[in-house]
Amino acid sequence: MENLIEVKNLKKYFSTPRGTLHAVDNVTFNIEKGKTIGIVGESGCGKSTLGKTLMRLHTPTSGEVLYKGTDIASMPINQFKKDYRSHIQMIFQDPYASLDPRMDVLQLIEEPIKVNSKHLGKAEVTGKAKQMMELVGLATRLETSYPHELDGGRRQRIGIARALSLNPEFIVCDEPVSALDVSIQAQILNLLQDLQKERGLTYMFITHDMSVVKHISNDIAVMYLGQMIEKCDAKEIFKDTIHPYSQALLSAIPVPNAHSKQKRMVLKGELTSPIDPKPCCRFAARCPFSTDKCLAEEPQLRLIKPNHQVACHYAENFTK
Amino acid sequence: MNENILSIRDLVIHYETDEEVVEAVNKISLDIKRGEVVGLVGETGAGKTTTALGIMGLLPSKVAHVVQGSIELEGENLLKKSNHEMLKVRGKKISMIFQDPMTALNPVKTIGDQIAEVILLHDHCSKLEALKRAQDMLAMVGIVPDRYKDYPHQFSGGMKQRIVIAIALACEPDLLIADEPTTALDVTIQAQILDMMRTLQKKHGTSMILITHDLGVVAEMCDHCAVMYAGEIVEYGTLEQVFDHPKHPYTKALYQSIPSLDKDVERLHVIPGLVPDPSNLPSYCSFCARCTEKKPECAEHDPWITEVEPGHTAKCFKYTPEWEAK
Repeated sequence: MENLIEVKNLKKYFSTPRGTLHAVDNVTFNIEKGKTIGIVGESGCGKSTLGKTLMRLHTPTSGEVLYKGTDIASMPINQFKKDYRSHIQMIFQDPYASLDPRMDVLQLIEEPIKVNSKHLGKAEVTGKAKQMMELVGLATRLETSYPHELDGGRRQRIGIARALSLNPEFIVCDEPVSALDVSIQAQILNLLQDLQKERGLTYMFITHDMSVVKHISNDIAVMYLGQMIEKCDAKEIFKDTIHPYSQALLSAIPVPNAHSKQKRMVLKGELTSPIDPKPCCRFAARCPFSTDKCLAEEPQLRLIKPNHQVACHYAENFTK
Repeated sequence: MNENILSIRDLVIHYETDEEVVEAVNKISLDIKRGEVVGLVGETGAGKTTTALGIMGLLPSKVAHVVQGSIELEGENLLKKSNHEMLKVRGKKISMIFQDPMTALNPVKTIGDQIAEVILLHDHCSKLEALKRAQDMLAMVGIVPDRYKDYPHQFSGGMKQRIVIAIALACEPDLLIADEPTTALDVTIQAQILDMMRTLQKKHGTSMILITHDLGVVAEMCDHCAVMYAGEIVEYGTLEQVFDHPKHPYTKALYQSIPSLDKDVERLHVIPGLVPDPSNLPSYCSFCARCTEKKPECAEHDPWITEVEPGHTAKCFKYTPEWEAK
């Protein structure tokens, strides 16, 4: 299967008064066409920055992002906007904050079409927007409603319609369901899956919810402080969790079962600072298995089993 | 001695504005026993937080009205108490942990002062002694006591929630209401906080009402579970009863709509339709429009609460003897 996106040694640093913040640090991965990669991690691990960097909402510090073989990370931003923005779209986390409260539903969906297809006439734009509303399951009577009149699920459908209106091939979904109730969450996840099947879309699905990511992804990548620390097949990570951080992350999820008295690995402390990190394993300070080697040398992402990469010096000891 | 620390009977709370009446809580009854943890589960707008604010006497006074019912704490009706009397109850007998630790703390006061404030108000002691006890509380929730002079912005989200918990527990309340205490936190931090709350609850024998929308958190913390829908408790029972044998169609549908870590499903089950508008609730079963097991009867009358098995109740006609005949 061909790769739609190839990310090579991507870095995004921010300079802050206290030093350089390594938000995304040397990340390398591929996404196959028509597949979904799930990016998991806690707040501050760089998953949203990674998504925004692929979208060129941030300019990468270094590294390559190949879209169908063309490097979109280093090209001038105007050229990217003209030729590639409509191919790569994003669905944002908070449907309460990402929509202009002064625009009605139809205007909101027309906006990206107007911006990106200037040759279209007014009637065509409206026609296309109405088509999009139907596609994502928004009733025609809602055309003149404003975002504040709608519930979270419907607002997120507007966000999806806006992203899809440009016929993108690749969509970055940044926590699209975390602001929604469970029954609405199920509706949106099903909608995203149906659209993927119909249109052959490729998703990068950013979330902190492991059960959601397991449900929707083909591959999963776990991020910690800007780095990718484990990457494998979505089912595999639940069968053979190798990196100690992934183990802790999985065992921390409360299971909705009255009899599951699972042994929990409770991590001590909290995330260390991503500002000017020392050249060592970034998880070492919280890792129950850390040794002197972990504090001296930075582990690289390496292949432990077929299609299963881990960045840990002692990965072999943890595999089943 | 009565074994129930709190009993709520037929509580009805409305929010009244110029245009409409929002029926937020509709005739709920609930008992909390001593030392017990009860989970209150439901989606946004189910009336969980309104119930909690009603118990605390913190409902916005201009719009919210307790229409009927009683809330008895150790035999005394809290709704009959004056504002002045409630001050002695809040913080001392009942405490509340609020959802968002980022906004629950005062940014211009040190955390030591904020914990000491509760102690000074209820236990008449010197400022010095109160600060000393505040430091003990910090140690108890796992924060270095020397940091009592720091301000909230110097702490991370998980630590702020620990401070909020320290304030809530400072006067050793009999009942603790925790409103989504971990929703704003990351999973690994959530695990730390839940772990700590459980240890402290066991140690002090505090009764607790845990409000959440996360069924996993309920499974981990609670003895009993009450499921709320459109301002009503539609199902109540022990954790095992509600989780292993859910009876109400809404509870069943709720379980099927969460993606599971153990099972693989191609498509998620979806509850059709939306939560009914609380300013325009039907006179019949409020779940009827979304229910897959309904019969014509359901759209005519409001079901009553039926005991399905000892200690397990559901508000659904399905469990009445006449159901099969219809």
